[in-house]
Amino acid sequence: MNPSTHTPITVNPGSSEFEATLRLIASLPAPEGLEERVEAGLHKAPHRARILQWPVALRLENAWVRTAAAAAIVFVVVGGGWGISSRVQPAPQVRAITTPPHGSAPGGFSSAGAMRTPQTLNGPVVAHPVATHPATPTPQAKPAKKLSAHRGKPVSATRNIAQPAAPPVK
Amino acid sequence: MEIADKAVYDGTRQHAEEAALAALVSQYAGTLYRVAYSVLRNSADAEDAVQEAFLRVLRHRDMLHEVRDQRVWLIRIVWNVVLDRKRRMKTRPETDDVAELARVLPASGLNAEERAAAAQHHAHVLSCVEQLPAKERQVLMLSAFEELTSVEIASVLGITESSVRSRLFRARNLMAGLLNHERSAR
Repeated sequence: MNPSTHTPITVNPGSSEFEATLRLIASLPAPEGLEERVEAGLHKAPHRARILQWPVALRLENAWVRTAAAAAIVFVVVGGGWGISSRVQPAPQVRAITTPPHGSAPGGFSSAGAMRTPQTLNGPVVAHPVATHPATPTPQAKPAKKLSAHRGKPVSATRNIAQPAAPPVK
Repeated sequence: MEIADKAVYDGTRQHAEEAALAALVSQYAGTLYRVAYSVLRNSADAEDAVQEAFLRVLRHRDMLHEVRDQRVWLIRIVWNVVLDRKRRMKTRPETDDVAELARVLPASGLNAEERAAAAQHHAHVLSCVEQLPAKERQVLMLSAFEELTSVEIASVLGITESSVRSRLFRARNLMAGLLNHERSAR
């Protein structure tokens, strides 16, 4: 223990007259019978919270009294719940859903009697396939194959570009 | 059987707590009264404050065994009670202070005139104390209790010991200035 921490605050004896006044007041004796009055006041005060304290006559000492009290509480709660549920009528179920009429808002847009038509897509139109003999392919069929191979350019045209013109014979 | 044992235990514990509380009352009621009186300066108010402080102790008597220094703990309780009352209370006229001081202060060997003059002087000093800032005033008033060390004052006020010393220094300087000013004004 540090002795310096328990030294009382030293007061210079001749320093101040005001401290003499304060010390005089601080050393006044307590009035007679203060302790008795305080103790009497404490005995009168409630020792526990009164809200949760049973009166003496209603103290639940025995088990059967507790059981009866619990049963009474359950009876009251269940009875009250049943009474409420029996009086409340359930709302009738709606069979058809009605939509409110479309009224045009004042100053807004209106449909002007237009009827709504469902958006449908036109189905694909399939052309009749050309009946051709598979054994005798047409001459147009070959360039068609080449054309597809060279991405749309005819074979004769490519050949003409690739071969240079022959020099003139002198 | 367990219920009976518990009832016996509760009864014993309650008796022990009541005995501890009675011991606290007989030991510290006087100290608490003087602390309360130094602020309120009215014996009935001070007694009420002591009563209220012990009622607070009664409400929290479960904590009694955890308290390390019961005296400082009690002084702190009564100090808070007193400050609450002081805040709520209307300003008491200075003449009431003088009359109360003349009634309670020891006046052995003084005639009636000297006694009235002494009471006037003490009331004047106390009016100067009231002009101090609250922090300095509180430290100054508690320092007048010789049984309280600076550490205990710090504990009561919830500040450090160095703060107690600095506030006390400021309070003394301010008081000296106030009293000199009053003297020069007369």
